[in-house]
Amino acid sequence: MSDDVETAFDLAACLERVCARDQLAARELVEHLHPLVIRIVRGHLPRRVAEEDLAQEVFMKLFTRLGQYQGAVPFTHWVSRIAVTTCIDHLRAQKRRPEFRWADLSENEADLLDAVLTSENAVGANDALAARELVNKLLDQLKPDDRLVLQLLDLEQKTLIEISQLTGWSTTLIKVRAFRARRKLQKFFKQLKQSERS
Amino acid sequence: MKTHPSAWHRLVTAARQATPVARDDAAPFGFATRVAALALAAEQPNLRTSLNRFSWRALGLALMLMLLSIAANYSAVTKVVNNEDDLVDPADIVLKLT
Repeated sequence: MSDDVETAFDLAACLERVCARDQLAARELVEHLHPLVIRIVRGHLPRRVAEEDLAQEVFMKLFTRLGQYQGAVPFTHWVSRIAVTTCIDHLRAQKRRPEFRWADLSENEADLLDAVLTSENAVGANDALAARELVNKLLDQLKPDDRLVLQLLDLEQKTLIEISQLTGWSTTLIKVRAFRARRKLQKFFKQLKQSERS
Repeated sequence: MKTHPSAWHRLVTAARQATPVARDDAAPFGFATRVAALALAAEQPNLRTSLNRFSWRALGLALMLMLLSIAANYSAVTKVVNNEDDLVDPADIVLKLT
């Protein structure tokens, strides 16, 4: 969401009206922010949670905390942070992570994983969708914080500063988490290779 | 060992090339109205809720002070109880005098 769109919408006036408990303004604010919120929610959606329910929770938090918004950061950054922390709270609440089994992979995914484990060739563009599915399944094996860091850093290619703004974590913590998460994946790949051989 | 980290990078590089599924980002019908109504209907903090919250805090503080004072004076209390025989009984003195 660009600043131009934010200006065209006249966010400041809308926020002022929301603070005065104007229901129409609150509705306009939800409609304006929905694309931003739903994209974050879809990107970090926990299993068995409906995206609409999670989006509603984000908006409820937003309205509850609206009085705390000081304007130090752009409003969209502030909203993104609420959305990300809400998603991560839900992911943390899920005690169990799905088991990764070769048998659960589709034929394309299994072939791709096999190719990645046994050769050093780049993955073809035709396999992009299967790679995406496989990456999501691999990310599911990580702890929510580790998963979030790798998703933002490697998949969405956000900078350390952007991730820091979204999560509130320091850049050092993000680097450490990314390092540990990649190490866990490395270990996991090793286990997969061994299980494939046996 | 060298192949494993690059395996992740090769996978993730390919995954980034996947065309995102076109989905409607607009709020579903009625969503904004429902959320706005719920948000504005949420109870505003009033004097009663504030007093309620502060009274619980005060109760907690009072309990903590009570426990601290018991802990601080425990030895003095037990000493008095143990030396109860040394205490002067005024009723006994009056009875002896009469």
